[in-house]
Amino acid sequence: MTDTQTAASMRPATTQDVADILMDAAHNRTPLVVRGNGTRAGLGNPVAATQVLELGGLDQIDFYDPDDLVIRAGVGVTLESVEQILAQKGQYLPFEPPRYAGLYGTDGARCTLGGAVSTALSGPRRILTGAVRDFVLGVEGVNGQGDVFKAGGRTMKNVTGYDISKLVTGANGTLAALTSVTIKVLPAPRAEVTLVLPAATLAEDVALFGQMRALPLGIGGLARRVNAAGACELLVRVEGTVPGVAGNQQVLAGLLAPRGGMVVLEQEASHALWAGVRELECLNARPDELVWRVNLPATTMPAFVEQARSAGCINRFFVDWAGGVVFSTMRGVQPEVDTLRYRKMAEQAGARATILRAPQDVLVRFGAFPPVSAGVATLGARTRAAFDPAGILNPGRMTVQA
Amino acid sequence: MQMPEPNQAIISQRDALAQGLRQIVGKDWVISDDAQRRPYQCDGITAYMAMPLLVVLPGCAAEVQAVLRFCNERGVKIVPRGSGTSLSGGALPLEDGVLLVTSRLCNVLEVDAHNRVARVQPGVPNIKITEAVSHLGLCYMPDPSSQLISTIGGNVAENAGGVHCLKYGVTANHILGIQAVLMTGEMVELGGAYLGAAEGELDLMGVLTGSEGLLAVVTEIAVRLEPVPEVARVISMSFPSVEEACACVGAIIGVGVIPAGLEFMDRKVLDAVSVLIKEKFDDRTAALLLCELDGTAVEVDALVGVVSDVARAQGAIELKVSTTEEERQRIWSSRKLAFSAIGKLCPDYYCTDGTIPRNKLPEVLNKMADMSKKYGLDYANCFHAGDGNLHPIIMYDAAKPGDLEKAEEFGADVLIACVDAGGVLSGEHGIGVEKRDLMTHQFTEIDLQQQQMVKCAFDPKDLLNPGKMFPTLCRCAEFGRMHVHNGNLRFADIPRF
Repeated sequence: MTDTQTAASMRPATTQDVADILMDAAHNRTPLVVRGNGTRAGLGNPVAATQVLELGGLDQIDFYDPDDLVIRAGVGVTLESVEQILAQKGQYLPFEPPRYAGLYGTDGARCTLGGAVSTALSGPRRILTGAVRDFVLGVEGVNGQGDVFKAGGRTMKNVTGYDISKLVTGANGTLAALTSVTIKVLPAPRAEVTLVLPAATLAEDVALFGQMRALPLGIGGLARRVNAAGACELLVRVEGTVPGVAGNQQVLAGLLAPRGGMVVLEQEASHALWAGVRELECLNARPDELVWRVNLPATTMPAFVEQARSAGCINRFFVDWAGGVVFSTMRGVQPEVDTLRYRKMAEQAGARATILRAPQDVLVRFGAFPPVSAGVATLGARTRAAFDPAGILNPGRMTVQA
Repeated sequence: MQMPEPNQAIISQRDALAQGLRQIVGKDWVISDDAQRRPYQCDGITAYMAMPLLVVLPGCAAEVQAVLRFCNERGVKIVPRGSGTSLSGGALPLEDGVLLVTSRLCNVLEVDAHNRVARVQPGVPNIKITEAVSHLGLCYMPDPSSQLISTIGGNVAENAGGVHCLKYGVTANHILGIQAVLMTGEMVELGGAYLGAAEGELDLMGVLTGSEGLLAVVTEIAVRLEPVPEVARVISMSFPSVEEACACVGAIIGVGVIPAGLEFMDRKVLDAVSVLIKEKFDDRTAALLLCELDGTAVEVDALVGVVSDVARAQGAIELKVSTTEEERQRIWSSRKLAFSAIGKLCPDYYCTDGTIPRNKLPEVLNKMADMSKKYGLDYANCFHAGDGNLHPIIMYDAAKPGDLEKAEEFGADVLIACVDAGGVLSGEHGIGVEKRDLMTHQFTEIDLQQQQMVKCAFDPKDLLNPGKMFPTLCRCAEFGRMHVHNGNLRFADIPRF
């Protein structure tokens, strides 16, 4: 049984209901699939559980204090509604959360804030503003014993006790069923432009990315992709104040002039372009293909990609985070063989290869997330047991039994 | 402030332990005689002192592993320490514990300019990282005031902040990888030397950062480097009342400007520093804000205009904007000298660091004035207003019987007021021993138990820096078994220290 074919589903609307459900589940040692609205259920390993705890019903906004740059909301509130509320005050979620609804064939409008925190997926702006973990100020949740706990707070700075908020971010629901999250928000940049220019070789492009990143120009996106017309291009997003962006754009135009063929996209056109990059649209992943994310040092990326392409492990790909992440498709012809080879290549390059989408049997066998050392695995297991001693919260979501 | 009762059986083995540790780190690097141990008796909080059983200075990560393994096998406690600048007693020694000092682990191991990462050892002073990369136009952003002395390892342990964290974030936002040694001597590598190196794994690095040396000893850190902003300018804004200055803080952020730093000083601080900097402040000034804006020249010029307009609308009497780097440094000197200036006004002072939502600043500052009357102790305010991070400076005289206790109570009252206003006990100094007993005011028993369960996962024998952060020792064995519901006090009978 997998979490997309489950029988019973519970959809509580209050923290207390979540606590009651988990207390019962702990008592009966009933494993649970924990999720928001299940739009990203394809991310991570299948969970061996027949009951689903869906947290999408916890969708209240507790407070939003724009002058204090902070919002607290139930985990079930949708990203779309949070972003709308923030936009009314000219603010945004700085980690630019991807939905990946296209990837999983789900409804992106139902993706939740809690899902963004639990999966810790960060968008293209990460190179400038940071990751999800950098903006989670506090959480409330229920651990695997049915205890309601809170951690962190709502202030910008807080070193009171362990940073449990970071620990549960990206834990994919394996430590606690989160019920509410407190997020630091920022004023959205007033101006944004994207410079589009023709790509050269991967190595030359990475070198150029490095040159641009060494300058304090407010570059909030550096990607390389194949566009709809089949041409390979570089995308450079500059954001900030109106005069700041104008000035930085000029500096960059000078730096990039030798490449020629530059096109400038302003405001909405730039927004739309990066929304596509965020959602991996330029990958054009076909239903029978596996989808991968590889994190690595930008400087080792060109050699890694060349090797993987000639080995047939990369079918199509694009590069984000100034070369620090490669998104790629893999043909679904011999997924087990290729998965093993691709992971091995990544390991040798000091990279981390995550499967974003694959057939269930591949995920069960190899795990969506790259393996960690024995010591880290043991410490991780002990940490999970500290929250969920009976192992009922998304068991096996992040780890594969040896 | 009470610490757990020292274990006399351990203390009696001091000579044998010293001998064993010398075999690991070499004879020169175990300090056992009284005179040489004395400088290590306290950290940045000099009011709390204890003579460490032994002081050990390992020279490499392998020696850290061996020292921890040796102590773990013998049930000997470890207190990790960098330069000892903690302002919460995090590095306060234990009489029955080994003080593990990272001073010899002081190398910048690698600078990767392209990927903007540096690998450093924990004993490197914060400022040395920026010095090592400044020729590349890069810097390490977090800049706690102690940055000349405080080590990056200590910064990680405390998740240190600083003046610029309003815009650039705190230590945790700048760490990409950590190598750490558990109490058993086992080494773990978390994350790595590039952005995203920890994707898809449990964020153990996140919980280790700010864990005040209770979970593991950090032996190597990969930090993110940033390009140095092209220009920085500071605006000094004086206000006729504290309320107007506080309102201006929210108004600046409300218009969408995130300054690189936004600092508050009250009249008492201004009077104290004006003697040192030989500059007079306008008589009508009750509070001063320093707002630093950085970026490219055009951008900063535009922001200076925006912020100046906001400040005038909020009732600022006088605005001074730096036009040269010298002017910027001169304007900042008042803030940088604030604490030493106050130090000249009174024999001793005590500074704490509760943090509150920015819009609660006037409310909490008013409460402080009442507390000052109640305890009969003078105070001054100089703090990171942009973050809502208060640093009340409570003046007292340690020579006067009862004065220290009154200052501590005053400080505790301020922290309680912060929590009651929706804030937290500590923004950047940490809990240590100083705020330990107030943890129950911010957290429920269940919240604290969940945190202590994490401690048990890392250090089940409770040998790493025990007696800090939590008002009770961990009872890892009991946590595994006991389960009481609905917020009932689980360990109502547990001894507190």
